[in-house]
Order: sequence, then structure tokens, then C-alpha cells
Amino acid sequence: MNTNLKISNIIKIYPGCIANDNVSLEFESGKIYALLGENGAGKSTLVKILSGVIIPDQGKIFLNKNILKLNSPLDAKKNDIGMVFQHFNLFETLSVFENLIIDSDETKENLREKIELIMKKYNFLINLDVPVLNLSAGQKQKVEIIRCLIRNPKVLIMDEPTSVLTEQETSELFLSLKKFSEEGILIIYITHKLKEVIRLCDEVAVMRKGKLVSVSEIKNENIESLANKMVGQNLKTIKKKKAKTSTDQLIKITNLNFISEDPFETNLNNINFSVNRGECLGIAGISGNGQSELFQILSGEIISNKNSIEFNKNYIGDLNPQERREYLMAFSPEDRLEQAAIPQMKIFENVALNNFKSSNFFKNGLINENKIKEHAKKIISDFNVNTDNIELKSQFLSGGNLQKLIIGRELITSPDLLICFNPTWGLDVGAINYIHETLIKINEQDKSIILISTDTDELLKLSDKISVIHKGKLSKIMNAEEVTSEKLGVLMGGGEID
Amino acid sequence: MIIDINFVGLIITSIMASAVPLILASCGELITERSGVLNLGVEGMMIIGAISGFALMTVTGSLFIAVVGAMIAGVLISTIFAFLTQTLITNHVATGLALTIFGIGISAMIGKNFVGIPGKEFPVLFKSLKDTIPFLSPILFGHSIVFYFAFTLPFFTNYFLKKTKLGLIVRAVGDSPESASNQGINVKLVRYSCILYGGAMCGLAGAYLSMIYTPQWIENMTGGRGWIALALVVFSTWNPIKILIGAMIFGGLTIIQFHMQAMGVRIPVQFLTALPYIVTIVVLVVISRDSRKIRLSTPSSLGKSFYKDN
Repeated sequence: MNTNLKISNIIKIYPGCIANDNVSLEFESGKIYALLGENGAGKSTLVKILSGVIIPDQGKIFLNKNILKLNSPLDAKKNDIGMVFQHFNLFETLSVFENLIIDSDETKENLREKIELIMKKYNFLINLDVPVLNLSAGQKQKVEIIRCLIRNPKVLIMDEPTSVLTEQETSELFLSLKKFSEEGILIIYITHKLKEVIRLCDEVAVMRKGKLVSVSEIKNENIESLANKMVGQNLKTIKKKKAKTSTDQLIKITNLNFISEDPFETNLNNINFSVNRGECLGIAGISGNGQSELFQILSGEIISNKNSIEFNKNYIGDLNPQERREYLMAFSPEDRLEQAAIPQMKIFENVALNNFKSSNFFKNGLINENKIKEHAKKIISDFNVNTDNIELKSQFLSGGNLQKLIIGRELITSPDLLICFNPTWGLDVGAINYIHETLIKINEQDKSIILISTDTDELLKLSDKISVIHKGKLSKIMNAEEVTSEKLGVLMGGGEID
Repeated sequence: MIIDINFVGLIITSIMASAVPLILASCGELITERSGVLNLGVEGMMIIGAISGFALMTVTGSLFIAVVGAMIAGVLISTIFAFLTQTLITNHVATGLALTIFGIGISAMIGKNFVGIPGKEFPVLFKSLKDTIPFLSPILFGHSIVFYFAFTLPFFTNYFLKKTKLGLIVRAVGDSPESASNQGINVKLVRYSCILYGGAMCGLAGAYLSMIYTPQWIENMTGGRGWIALALVVFSTWNPIKILIGAMIFGGLTIIQFHMQAMGVRIPVQFLTALPYIVTIVVLVVISRDSRKIRLSTPSSLGKSFYKDN
């Protein structure tokens, strides 16, 4: 059975921004379509319209030549359009089965049988009776997919599905998606990752600033051509020069252990590594294998044994982040809006948050606003943050701009070591490029970086040495040239390489 | 001192009687909170229920109309809360506090004409069985229908939440209104219904106070029971069965206080009045030690406004 989905002249306008400017597209089943664009290009708006979450100002949607009125997510479901959102729509405290039965009209027994069948067919292994919060991101996504499959959808829309997945999980997902496509489900795949488009899809539609830029077949495209369409200008490819081999040790971690009382945290087991000046150490791993604990220990959010961290010949394991900054360390945490910045505070106020002693931001307990503002303006211009209003609340900055601000805030004190955790998570190509350039630049200035990231491409591009963290244990430290993403994948999954 | 077994039975009976309004109000509030809405107006809704019940009984003479009327009054006043917090997206805490203040004020105003009027006798069930078995039968028999309803309500509430589809939807909305909305659940409708149901139960709790427990109208007669009911929901970690246990403990504290005074034990009354809150805090501290448990039992979206952006 063939499915034809057509959208014509969709317009959606928000105050101050045209999210979808007269977008028309046509999809046929049997193919996997990519909808490609940077953050804010309007692709999320478009799929939210297709799934009934957002109602367009103008335009029509046709499914098999019949006009569709999608006024609510329920309408989309009724019309066999399934959607897996980037941010999972699951109820964390309910069990997997409860999550699935909530929008189903079948009896418990029938539904359970149906789910078991689906899981068997696609090789999903999920315990249906545990609360969703016990599942890994990949498993949660499978629950979302099962939720769609239960309804035998004609159309399956995946919104940035791999942003939380590991290399292996991504491969598994792609296999499943290809299988779905063969079975006649029309698949629309939203992403800003070019490699995935090339690897998975048959046709690609590129969006930029709310407009549809191009529709083409994948075989006529390559990564560069797609990137240029997406950004609208020629992107320069950045490459890292091989670092001079320095032997001047900057930070050394010895026998670092961490045992947590919180069952959601990962224990760290005998971590040892060192980083020389001008070097970038990449730490790869599937999220949840102890990265955030390691970051917190390195940044001083979790205090450890004094002697376990030696920085610039000082033992600093028992110092808090503030005190560590005085020793010229800088930190860029994973969660920009929750850990690195306070969303409700203005840009210049956020800039003052990592106040260092020499800053003179505060005098006799009073805030020296002019000084802070001056400083904030310098960061904004030095680090290319796309706003001129330092009074703006940080929550209104895009992810990329906020990350530039945070990195800028950390780097403007010219620290010896920057520790960053997923610095480009969820950013668009332009912003990623900028952040990568910046990180390479500080290496060239003989400063060091510890880069904890779940993005293996990023790690391979930026690191001089790479190690993998798995279940709180660090693998041996390898030279980046000897490492491939396949090797990393094996180590990330807990395997061994020689 | 010889302890008379019938005397103990009597104490238990009186503890149960004082637990009734707590059970009713907290079971109602529990449903409201499970949908993610924090309604601090329990005290206000209870007192509105109390004056409405008493006034309707005096005016119409019908106990049935009075009880149903008190519940409707509870629904009406909670509609104000629902409209403000769900449609106009006001802050739950501030609106709930305002509702309590409003309820106490307006009940005092209406109640002026009803002060000093004697109440009516409320019919009791199984009266003939009351003297059959020593100790047990005064506990089991000879109570109003509201009493029996209250003691079965936690079990029904538990069944509703755990075993029915609607209960699942209520829990889902409390867990993540955004996800629920994206799943096509009408979050506003669910939350409205839960708030209104909570209002009805608080109204009934109030009517029990002014028509059955102490059949008369006294200004401010709920005397902080609404706040205890709120504390009870937290104490129970949103589990209806534990509300039953908690209500007996909290109700018991009030009754034992009377008996202790009679026996000449000198504990400041204020301390005993404060005990339920102290116990709640102790329980909170104990359960907070297990972050997983608190995460699983607390409605994640409690007190947070939800609005759909289109």
C-alpha cells in the first residue's frame, strides 16, 4: 500500500520570526526522507505541524490525496502519523507498559501480546514493568518507537533521534528504520547531522530560516554540498594541526575513586591520567558511564581526596570550583541552561557568576555593574555572540550563542586548562564550527583541554589523546591518530581492543 | 490503673470520628495533587462546605440537600481556583492561599446569621448492632454514612489511581503535562476535573464538621484541619492507603490531647497542635533519604503551571 503525504504552502508566523515561510513538500512511502536544517531553521515547527502539536497559520496537508485537519496530536494519531520527539514524551515515573497503554484502546492482555510481538520482530529488549526513568536513552527511544508501531502508522517522523544515542544504538536505529521503510512506512527523518543523512536517507529537503532551500536525491549530494546549503555560505573546514609534543605536565589525576550513595550516579573506579600543556585529552563514552561524575570531580563540584588531583604542582583535590579557578582552571558544564548559566538572569549577570578574585566585580559586598557590563561586552565581541543587548535574559539566547558566551566567560581569564563536557551538544553546524575553532586555538596557545564528549567525530577532530570511559572505568590512553570511531565504539560498549 | 476495654474502644471511636474530615479532604487533595496541581485552599474549601451544609440544613431542613449542597459549594469555590490557575495561569501557591483567606472570610460573613442555632441530629447506620459485641461494635457500628464513606474512600482512591485508565491519565498528567498533551490528553480538562473533585471532597469534609461532628456553626470551625489534611497528603507520599494511617495518627493526636488534659498530664496544647506538622517534617526527612522513592512517588509537575504554546 502506498502512502503519499503532501504539505502545501505551510505558513507559521511567530512574533518576530517566520518559522515556516510557504513550505511545500511531497513524500512517498518506501523512501526515507531527511529534513535537514540548522537549529531554528523551522524543521521542528514543520514536524510539529505534521504531528498536530502546532496549528499552522496557513497551508494544507494531504494524506493520500485526502485533506488532513490536524488540530491536535490526537488527530495525527488517528490519521496514522506517528512521531518520535527529540525530547521524549514519556512519563518517567510510570512503568513502560503504563506509558504504552495510556493512549491505547486495547485490553491489557492484547496490548501486551502486541508489544511482545513488535519487540520480537525488531529485536528490542525492554522490561515492560519498570519505571521509564530506569531506562537508558536508547531504550526510552525504543519505547517511543513501539508506541508509534502499535498503531500501525503510515508515516513515522523522527525528530533528531540520534542526539542522545551512542554509535551502536544509532546503527541499530538505522537498521530498524530501514526495515520500517521496506515494510511501507513513510519515514521523515529530521536532523542537522549531515553524515546521518548520507548514511540513511534517500532524499533530502534542506531548510534555512523558515524557507525550503532545496529538495534533492542523496546520490547527487555530499557532505560539503549539504552543509553549504544548510548554512547558506561556504563553510571552511577546520583541521587541527598536530600539537608539538610537550612534556610539561599540567594536570595529573592519581587513583581517583568515587563511590556514590545515589543509585542514579555511577561510581568511578581508580581513574589515572595526565594532560600536558597544549594538549587536548578527549574522553569518549556513552552518556551515563561516569562522565558527569568525572566532570564534577574535576571541576570541584564534588570534592575528592586532596592528593588525587595535582594541577600545576599543587594538590587541589579538596578545593571548590571557585578556588580552582584561582589556579587558572576553567569549566564548561554539559547543561548550558541548568549548570552553566541561570536562564532568568541577564547576560551580564551570568558573566559575573564565575567571578574570580582579580575581577573587581564586587566591592565591599556591592555589585560593580559598570565593570561587569564592560567585561560582558568584551566577551560578546571577542567570542562572536550574536546579540548586542547584554541586558537580555540568558534564556533567550540560542544554544549556540549561549555556549559561545559560556566558553567566552571561561576563556577570557586565559586559564591554563579548560574542562568541557559536551560543548557542542544540540548546536547547529555554524556554532559547532566556531566552538571547535576556539578550542583548537586555545590548544595552539599552549593551553590544555579536557574534552568529555559523547560525540566521537568531535573527539577525533579535536583530541591529541583519547580515552574511553565505561562503567566508571577509564580505558588506556591512546594517541588520537591510532584511534578510529569503530575502535571507540567497541570500547564504549565495554569491549576490548588490543 | 485499670484500663477499661470499652473505654479504649470509645477512644478509638472518637479518634476515627476526628479522622473522617482529614481523610475526606486529603483524599480529594491527593487526586488534585496527583494531576500536578497544588491547591492550598483546602482550609477555605472545607469551611465553605461547613457553612453551606449548615445553612442549607437550617433553611431547607433536608440533610440530603445540605450534604449535596456543601459538596456543590466546594466544587464552586474550587472552580474559581481552577479558572485562575488553569485558564489564567496564575501561581498555584498564591491562588490557593487567597482561596483559603477568601473562604474563611466569606463563611464568617454568611455564618453570622447561623451562630447559636442548634444543629439537627444526623441519622446513623447499624444503630441496633451497637451494643452487641463489647469493644468492637461501638467502633464498627452506629455511625453516619459519611463516616463509612470516608473509611472506604482511600481504598477506592487507590484502586482508581492504580487500576483504572482514568487514574493512569491523572498520574500521567501529574508526571509530565507536556508529554500528556503531546499524547493528545486534554491536560486542562483533567486538571479541572481533579481540582473540582478535590473541592467536592473538601466541601463534604466541611459538612461533616458542621453537621455531624459538632452539629453547629462556629466561626472558623475547621480550625486548621485543612492544613493538616494538606500535610497528610505529603506525609502519605501521595499514597491513599497511607492517608488512612496518617489520619488516624493525626486525628489521634487531637483526641489524646483531650484525654491527657483530663488525666492531668501537663503537655502544652500548642505543642500537641504542632505535632502533626512536626511528624510530617520528620517523615519527609526520612523519605527524602531515598531519592529514588521520592522521585517515583511525588507528582513531578506538582505546583507547576502548564500552558500550551501554539
